[in-house]
Amino acid sequence: MAQLMHRVVLPVTFGLAVLVVWQGVIEAGMVSKLVLTGPVQIVTALITEAPTLLSNGLITLTEAVSGFVLGSLAGLATAALFIRFGALQRAVFPLTILMEAVPVVAILPVLMLWMGNGMAPKIFIAAFLSFFPMLVNAYRGFSNVDADVQELMLSYSASPEQLFWKVRLPAALPFMFTALKLSACSSIVSALVAEWLASDQGLGYLIISYGQGYRVADVWAAATLACLLALAFYGITAAGEKWALSRRTR
Amino acid sequence: MTSASAASLTRADTASEATGAAGLVAQGVSVTFRRGTQVIDALKDVSLNIPRGTRAALIGASGCGKSTLLRVFADIVQPTSGTASHYGLTPAEARANRVYALVQQGSTMLPWRTVIDNVALGLEIAGTSKPERLERAAESLALVGLKGFEKSLPAELSGGMRQRAAIARALTLRPRFLLMDEPFGALDEITRDRLHFELLRILEETGATLFLVTHSIAEAVILSDKVVVMTPRPGRISQVIDVDLGQHRTPATREDPRFGHYELMLRRALHHDA
Ligand SMILES: Nc1ncnc2c1ncn2[C@@H]1O[C@H](COP(=O)(O)OP(=O)(O)O)[C@@H](O)[C@H]1O
Ligand SMILES: [Mg+2]
Repeated sequence: MAQLMHRVVLPVTFGLAVLVVWQGVIEAGMVSKLVLTGPVQIVTALITEAPTLLSNGLITLTEAVSGFVLGSLAGLATAALFIRFGALQRAVFPLTILMEAVPVVAILPVLMLWMGNGMAPKIFIAAFLSFFPMLVNAYRGFSNVDADVQELMLSYSASPEQLFWKVRLPAALPFMFTALKLSACSSIVSALVAEWLASDQGLGYLIISYGQGYRVADVWAAATLACLLALAFYGITAAGEKWALSRRTR
Repeated sequence: MTSASAASLTRADTASEATGAAGLVAQGVSVTFRRGTQVIDALKDVSLNIPRGTRAALIGASGCGKSTLLRVFADIVQPTSGTASHYGLTPAEARANRVYALVQQGSTMLPWRTVIDNVALGLEIAGTSKPERLERAAESLALVGLKGFEKSLPAELSGGMRQRAAIARALTLRPRFLLMDEPFGALDEITRDRLHFELLRILEETGATLFLVTHSIAEAVILSDKVVVMTPRPGRISQVIDVDLGQHRTPATREDPRFGHYELMLRRALHHDA
């Protein structure tokens, strides 16, 4: 009971208090309505603008999830290839680390020349930014095999494939989820930023166009939805982690 | 098992019959490790013959090359020169045909697998069907007194129980050679004592040849028919002592005056070299 008190009641009370103070500050006119609006106005905007918000949110989510899936799969496959072919790893890894330093959002105009103004460049950016965490973490996880276990598998005459499926992959699972949880949030953010820069749809586009119309409550409503999407995506990934790790220890 | 490997096994059996009781054989085995500019002679010209069915112990100070010799037999380390064989098979053939089973110094398990799935791993790799490998794993778990812990995770076992599981994991393969590297090193004396006699009983039941690395004099005497004494830098065999305490050993064997005699002999052999 005391635990429930500490874990739920206290943070919820604090959160509510913040909201009340926030609304109070707005009602008292202490902050310009052009800069910040109150929670009540934001919730109202969320309801009245719901159809527009949801249809655009779905687009952002589609871009983010597609990029997340493609980038993570590509990172995982690359890590597996690096493990299987050590020479490839030594030849290519430094280059991939250099590529990670490319400010991909800055080359968006070039991407748009190649891929147009639609979802493709956004998916590409989300994928690009999901690729490296998965590559680095999965590679570390695959390599995280005790010398004793490798020796044991050698004594069983296990093939490299058996070593991979029965030892490396399960050993790497927690590492892979570290990357997935990271990318779940970053893919939403990168899709939003890409939409900001050039788009005629999606939450990022919506935020810009609301902003240009000085519709402050609507801007905040769109931003809130973006946060909720990122949180939900993260939550689903974390739940997936729990499920996968419990299945691993059948 | 492929027909080629079955053929090579048959050939090995006839070969060993022809040469008497050739078991575990090393001929002039040397192993040199290079670490940067440093050259370590882990083994220098080691020759050895352990007839099949023998219980042999390899004893020596730490760092004298015991694990390296075991790894040569297991085809994990390649000799720089010389040859090793099991029943006439090269270590590579012995490994490919799963003639030996290894019990390592640490009882490393895959932490996400249950005890029985860990114990069945070797058969799983060999492609044995699931019902059969689980049955055999359960059998060997019962043999080491771990019945009822099949579904536990390794982390839920005590160090002694994990060590038994590691022994069960090796027994599940029904090896002709049991290669054990200080398998009782991490255990308390009471558990170690009990496992000693369990191991002897299991060897009597399976007829496997034992090659046990240890640094305990008492353990070497109680468990073996033959004690190989090694000296360090470079790792060489200094003496081979036959322990004539009979086939069947019991806790009472330790009160046999000959037990103390062998202990003293070994102590002298080790100190003489130091
Ligand atoms: N893979 C290796 N690389 C370099 N040196 C090694 C390696 N394995 C063992 N050695 C060295 O060889 C010597 C013998 O080691 P080892 O066989 O493990 O001894 P023991 O098992 O008797 O304690 C030691 O000096 C050790 O440092
Ligand atoms: Mg050792």
